[in-house]
Amino acid sequence: MMSSDERNLIAHLARRAGFGATSNELDRYQDIGYEALVEEFLNPVDSQHIPDDLIFRRHVDLHAMQGHNAAYWAYRLISTQAPLEEKIALLWHGVFATGENKLNNLGSLTNQIGTFRTHGLGRFDILLTELSKDPAMAIWLDNHTNHKNSINENYGREILELFSMGVGNYSEDDVKECSRAFTGWTVKNGEYMAMMAQKDSIWPYGRIFWHHEFRSDDHDGSHKSFLGESGPLGGDDMVKIICRQTATAQFVSRHLYNFFVADEVPVPQWGDTPARDSAAIQALADAYVKSGHDIRSVLRVLFNSDFFKEAQFDKVKSPVEMVVGTLRKTGEYSVPDGGDKGIFDVMEEAGFMGQKLLDPPSVEGWHTGVEWITSGFLVDRVNFASEHIGNISNPGVKVMTLRVKSDSDKSSDPGDLVDACLNVLGPLDVSDDARTLLIEIATAGLESASSKSDESDSDADQLILDLFKIIVSSREYQLC
Amino acid sequence: MKYLKTIGFNSNQPIGRGFNYPYDIAFSNDGRIFVLNRMGGLNPSGIRIQICTFDEDWLGEFSTGPGTGDDQFKVPVCMAFDNQDFLYVTDESLNEVKVFDNQGNFVKKWGTAIEGVGRLKGPAGIAHGDDWAVYVVEQYANRIHKLTRDGESVLSWGEEGTGEGQFDMPWGITLDSQGHVYVADWRNDRIQKFTSNGEFIAAFGKSGDGVGQFNRPSSVAVDGKGFIYVADWGNERVQVLTPDGSFHQMLHGEATLSKWAQEWLEVNQDELQARNNSDLLTKDLPAHLRTPFHAASQTEPVFWGPVSVKLDSQDRLYVTEHSRHRIQIYEQSRSLSTQDIL
Repeated sequence: MMSSDERNLIAHLARRAGFGATSNELDRYQDIGYEALVEEFLNPVDSQHIPDDLIFRRHVDLHAMQGHNAAYWAYRLISTQAPLEEKIALLWHGVFATGENKLNNLGSLTNQIGTFRTHGLGRFDILLTELSKDPAMAIWLDNHTNHKNSINENYGREILELFSMGVGNYSEDDVKECSRAFTGWTVKNGEYMAMMAQKDSIWPYGRIFWHHEFRSDDHDGSHKSFLGESGPLGGDDMVKIICRQTATAQFVSRHLYNFFVADEVPVPQWGDTPARDSAAIQALADAYVKSGHDIRSVLRVLFNSDFFKEAQFDKVKSPVEMVVGTLRKTGEYSVPDGGDKGIFDVMEEAGFMGQKLLDPPSVEGWHTGVEWITSGFLVDRVNFASEHIGNISNPGVKVMTLRVKSDSDKSSDPGDLVDACLNVLGPLDVSDDARTLLIEIATAGLESASSKSDESDSDADQLILDLFKIIVSSREYQLC
Repeated sequence: MKYLKTIGFNSNQPIGRGFNYPYDIAFSNDGRIFVLNRMGGLNPSGIRIQICTFDEDWLGEFSTGPGTGDDQFKVPVCMAFDNQDFLYVTDESLNEVKVFDNQGNFVKKWGTAIEGVGRLKGPAGIAHGDDWAVYVVEQYANRIHKLTRDGESVLSWGEEGTGEGQFDMPWGITLDSQGHVYVADWRNDRIQKFTSNGEFIAAFGKSGDGVGQFNRPSSVAVDGKGFIYVADWGNERVQVLTPDGSFHQMLHGEATLSKWAQEWLEVNQDELQARNNSDLLTKDLPAHLRTPFHAASQTEPVFWGPVSVKLDSQDRLYVTEHSRHRIQIYEQSRSLSTQDIL
């Protein structure tokens, strides 16, 4: 029989490579075993997410994607059986942060997320090439105005500063040469599409999604010198050169560490602040080089490392991780319903907590870690989790209460009941103070029940729900 | 069929001229076009039925929602006029059929307490027989329900499955001139044909994107000569079948500027100029975007979300596109007859 330490470790992997796991999922994961589960996450076969046709039939607005809400992605986040596909998309969405507030074209941004899903676990040079062709990125960083005879350095700078190498590892000349190489990488009908974006125009016939166009007549194909290499370099060449740099290996590794292992300082401080675990970053950077820039290979090293296994509850859940993780437990919205706008509301809730999906605050993305926790955000997070986990009409909550009853085996020991609740919501190991409070509530509840001659299921359920609500209000539930 | 014109235009307002996710249309006896706006998402306040003409005169609207009032809707789906010029509208969330006169005045509703049945389960497509019968598709029960115009159950047929007379989330329904019933069997990717009493006659199509194949057909219409028009929703196209169900013609859409669209662009000259300098009929999409959905979302003139097909008294075909907020109209290129395809 597997020890609780092993179950805790698998739950840790499920929280980091996904959005946590239900007790039934953890049972299956335990049968698979840790290393095999890492491979299952890294090599998803069938995500089994809610199919598009059902979503679109119920929510016609998600077919046209004219709104400004990530509900379509949310359906996939809460239902996928390949959670690392979504998690890696979420990572790159935060790194290559592209905001809907400027684009006003949710469909094109959703397509960008699809690119992250498709290429996010593959080779970084391919991902960076696809990103450079991505029309949402082109409009976001104005590369449609980067012309052969009048360069716009915005994308050429950010691909170096924020997307691959970091400040201090390239020169201003490199920025200019990089920008020249990406001239002609634009969007079909760029002027019209950018105008519609700027005016948030839906006229005459709704949004028109965007696609990449290479305009050879507007491309500067002349000789360039870039990071020590020279020739008639184009955008593809720039990406290859960038991905060969030691600085890129370190930069990408630090992002992966920050997202999957433990919270780092915000990216702008990386130039001045040493990595939290430089040995870990080097191990990941070595894997990056050895594998030919393959993210999947780097993550294989990461998930199987001691530094990952020892980092349980070292990270603050992002709002999206908290919201999606909670909804995957409650089982809500598994069947799209056109009369229920709840799936839209919960994504707005994540925004109120500081992370409006598809709308990062700037090209820097979101600052993570303790910056997710302000007094206001914390109240929102606790209220959200308590409201959803405390509602027994949610199918997943009903399953959890049954599991608690089964696991505690109708024990009269309040400690057994509390442990069963902590296990089904984690497993979680709460502070002594929190545990004392939970024991007090469980004791009072059980004593009240024993004094009644007709204890009902609803009384037992209510006690479990009360404990659930306390647990999801704890500090530990906000960590992953 | 030959493309004739486009009517409609997107609106960002919950009232007034312009469509918000149009889902179905119906023609009153005097030829006015009633347009059902479904809306959805965070702001469903544009749910309503609008009235306009073939020449794009906007005549008004009613049933502004959402709501549960007698004349309001929560998630409206389909509608059809009976031969007395009363409009029947389904709502898949309220599980009701609501009836209006041809001026938009509420008359009655039924569907939540049908004697011997209980409530309708997700009413979707609706069609009328020449006599008293109303046929309602119950998508969640996978059955077709034949009722009186007062909502009294007469008979029903169908169950979940893939066999003859079985359904998987059926949607649209229509009757031909002989009273045969055609159902868009949505998730089975086929059209099924029945007698008016539910006896199976034939099934047309199978899953796929080839000719005669369907991807989630949502609506079906049959003209006076028996030709069958199918909204091949998931393939973003309309297929015309011969009366025996053989493939006849494929329509992909070729929208032009409607009168309302032209008027808007005339007062937004910057967008008009940029638009005139653009090529909106994209034919060179990157490989990963070469799917019907992506092509339609990137190529303005073609169908995007062709959810409903309806024929007017002249057998002109109206294709309602929920995601382009417009209706493309086709006319018979010449008089079709079964001899044409023999």
